[in-house]
Amino acid sequence: MPENKYKKHGYDGLLIVVEGTDGSGKSTQVNLLKKYVENEGYGCMLSEWKTSRLISDVINEAKDRNLLNATTFSLLYAADYADRLENTIIPALKAGFVVILDRYIYTAYVRDSVRGHDIDWVKKLYDFAPTPDLVFYLKMPVHKLLKRMIGTGGLDYFESGRDIGISTDIYNSFEIYQNRCLAEYSKLEEEYNFITLDGTLSRTTIHNQIKEKVGEILASGIIK
Amino acid sequence: MARFLRDHNLKGVLICAEGIDGSGKSTQIDLLYSWLKEMKQDVILTQWNSSDLISETTKKAKKKNLLSPRTFSLLHAVDFADRLEKTIIPAMKAGFIVLADRYVYTAFARDVARMVDHKWVRNMYSFAIKPDMVFYFDVTSKISLDRICQNRQPKFYEAGMDLKLSNNPYKSYVIFQNRVNEEYKKMVDEYGLIRIDATDNIHQKQMLMREQVMKILKQRGFIKNA
Repeated sequence: MPENKYKKHGYDGLLIVVEGTDGSGKSTQVNLLKKYVENEGYGCMLSEWKTSRLISDVINEAKDRNLLNATTFSLLYAADYADRLENTIIPALKAGFVVILDRYIYTAYVRDSVRGHDIDWVKKLYDFAPTPDLVFYLKMPVHKLLKRMIGTGGLDYFESGRDIGISTDIYNSFEIYQNRCLAEYSKLEEEYNFITLDGTLSRTTIHNQIKEKVGEILASGIIK
Repeated sequence: MARFLRDHNLKGVLICAEGIDGSGKSTQIDLLYSWLKEMKQDVILTQWNSSDLISETTKKAKKKNLLSPRTFSLLHAVDFADRLEKTIIPAMKAGFIVLADRYVYTAFARDVARMVDHKWVRNMYSFAIKPDMVFYFDVTSKISLDRICQNRQPKFYEAGMDLKLSNNPYKSYVIFQNRVNEEYKKMVDEYGLIRIDATDNIHQKQMLMREQVMKILKQRGFIKNA
């Protein structure tokens, strides 16, 4: 395993990202992974997209009241990310933690470009983000996503891309929106060395695949 | 090409006032507003950090000194984007004269003075529309400090206290606002800002501005040539 492949961010810790569309099983996997890393005896921190104390409430409220346009949507998420990066992610990386991120800047690349922003604009907006050591991408076909979402709480306005006015039929809208998101993710897979995992497999199978890869890196003694 | 770099092609006219606090730009823009109203022009005034969406959050965070230069910059961009889409562009489409008390140049100057990368900030704001005219009120940071101190102390962020330039807020204010002014000065050429010497008296400055504004209003057919 070539050393220089990792720690491009220059910190002592490890930065692991789990990406995927809504309903692809990310939350389950990041929690399983956290347990595993801790069992191996490493400090571990989990951080989810849109959870900064400063800005996440503003985003939630603005979404509820349908106040956002594509640009404010994009910039608010970037502000949320910047706040979390400076106040939680970087301090944890400096302290040598394994930082697991449920969604990362790729989520913004995907959502913002689907909302009509130029991808270069978005990439430059996030150019201060540290490069992750591993990016797992849980890939799920849209028909499976639809079943999972409907079965667990229904289709959400923004997850269905209703804000961009694709269709007034929420089912239709969800299908089109998530398909566009998947297409954007596909463009990123190679460019950012995603480790693509089949999201339709059982949670244990997926967890084992992730565990194997993470275990390999941890065993190499990369965390001093 | 980014929207900010090309002419807007909208019916309205966008005129901005820039400069550090205490440079007299709000006084001047208010006078300009009343004058245009008096001439029965359709005119609106929009201020920096005043959107319903985010300005309260930003103000609260500023009070608690919670913001890093990056989040400070992003939150102001959110505010601007919200006002641009909801206020400025609709008014420009409807053919209004839009007066902006601070515009993206404020962010370019302040954020870069906070050591945020100047290309990064400019890219972020590339969705802005290009103004028809920008006045830059040039005043030294010392005079600016004297003016704001007539009714209050310098605030944490306007003094650049987050940058730890000095423990003394007055000293810090002068150093930080000097940096901001340096950035404005670079933009005079970069963006063709019209520099107004703040040592002129209020009336002189206003007459100078009216002359410039009149030119553009005639050019754009808002006012018929006599």
